[in-house]
Amino acid sequence: MDMPGIFKRLIGTKPSEWAYVVSRVRVMSRKLIPAEEYNKMLNMELDEVIRFLEESEYKKEIDELGFKYQGLTLIDYALSLNLSRAYSKLIRISKGTPRDLISAYLRRYDIWNIMNIVRGKMFNFPSEEIEATLIYAGEYDEEFCKSLMLKETIEEIAKTFEGTPFYPALEKIVRVCPMSEFEDDLYKIYYNGLAGIKAETLDMKYFIDFIKMEVDIKNIKTILRLKADGASAEEIMTKIIPRGLQISEDEARKLAALEWDELIKSLEGYWFWEGIKDSVEGASLSKIEAMLDRLWAKKVLSKSHSFPLSVLPVMAFILLKKLEIDNLRIIARGKAAGLDVENIKEQLVII
Amino acid sequence: MPVDGMVAIGAGLAVGLAGIGAGLGEQGIGAAAVGAMAEDPDFFGRGLLMTVIPETIVIFGLVISFLLMFI
Repeated sequence: MDMPGIFKRLIGTKPSEWAYVVSRVRVMSRKLIPAEEYNKMLNMELDEVIRFLEESEYKKEIDELGFKYQGLTLIDYALSLNLSRAYSKLIRISKGTPRDLISAYLRRYDIWNIMNIVRGKMFNFPSEEIEATLIYAGEYDEEFCKSLMLKETIEEIAKTFEGTPFYPALEKIVRVCPMSEFEDDLYKIYYNGLAGIKAETLDMKYFIDFIKMEVDIKNIKTILRLKADGASAEEIMTKIIPRGLQISEDEARKLAALEWDELIKSLEGYWFWEGIKDSVEGASLSKIEAMLDRLWAKKVLSKSHSFPLSVLPVMAFILLKKLEIDNLRIIARGKAAGLDVENIKEQLVII
Repeated sequence: MPVDGMVAIGAGLAVGLAGIGAGLGEQGIGAAAVGAMAEDPDFFGRGLLMTVIPETIVIFGLVISFLLMFI
C-alpha cells in the first residue's frame, strides 16, 4: 500500500538516511591527522614517517604491505589502499539518495582506474604494477578491474564499456588518439554528468556549485600550468573542462590568450582571487595551486556546517581525506628526495 | 456515555499522536546515534541518551490521557 505523501515525506528518506551516513563521517573525520602533526612529521626521516603511520589509522595497510614493499613504495601503496578502503566504506554504509550521490562523486576513481589500466596496457606494464595504482572507490570493484586487466587489447577493454558514458572516449583511444586527450575526455564526461544533476534543494544547489568551482580550479590550474610551459591558446582550450562556475569556455579562451602578467592580473574578480591575492606575485606555480586547493576546501568545509544533513559533510570528508593522503605523499616523497622542510611545507594543503 | 467515549478517544489520541511525533523525532537521532556508535562504541551512552529525549513527549501524552480518564 502506498503511503500518503505527507507520511512519505516525514518518514521516508532524508533525515535518517543522511543522519546515519553523516554521523559516521563526522566520527571518521575526527580520526584524520590534525594539522599540528604535520609539523612534527616534517622533522622526521622517512623511516620515522613510516613508524608514525604504523601507529595511526594507516596501521592495517602498513602491516599488510610491509612484508612486500618498503620505504617510499610502501607508503605509496599503503596510502592508496587506505584511501580506497575509506571511500568504498562510504558507499557501503549509505543507501538511497546518499549512495547515488556519493557514488556519482566518487566515479572519478572509476576514471582513474580506467586511465591507469588503459595506460598500463598501452605501455605493456605488468598487471601487478597496474593493480598497485588502482583505487577501488567508484562503481567498478576489484573483480571488474581485474577482468579488464586480463583483456589482451584496448579494443576489448573499450567493448566492455559499450553503453556506458565512458564508451565514446574509449572508442576514440582505440582510433589512436593521444593519451592526454583521452584522459581529458574522460574528465569532461565525468564533470559534465555531475554538473548536470538537477538541484531540487538548496544543499544540492551548493553541491553542484562546488563541483563547478572544482572545474574552475582545474581549468585555472591547466591554464596557468600550460601558460608557464608556453603552450598556445588552442592547445590550452582542448584541455578545458566545460561547465565551470565562472570560467566558461569563452572566459577560458580569453584567459588563455593573455600573457602571463596580464593573466595573473585578470584573475582579479573571480571567486578564487581572495585565496591567492596576497601572495600570487612571484609565487611558484605549485604554491598557487596549493592556495587554490586550500580555498576551495575551506569553502566546502564552511558550507558543510550549514547543511549538516546533506551531501556536503560527506563531500568535505572525501576532500579532507584526499588532502591528508596527498599531504602524506608530499612529505614522504619530499623526504625521500631530500628536499628541505620549507620546500615541502609550501606544497602541503593544511586546513 | 457518549462523553465517556469521547474522553477515551481523546486519551488514545494523546498517547498515539505523541508516540508518532516522538517516533518521527527519533528516526534521525536514532540513525545518527547508531552511525556514531558503529564508528566508535564510546558513543553508546550519549547516543542512547539523545535517542530517548523525544520519549519525554510520550510521557506528557500519557499524563494527559491519565488526567482525562481518571480525574
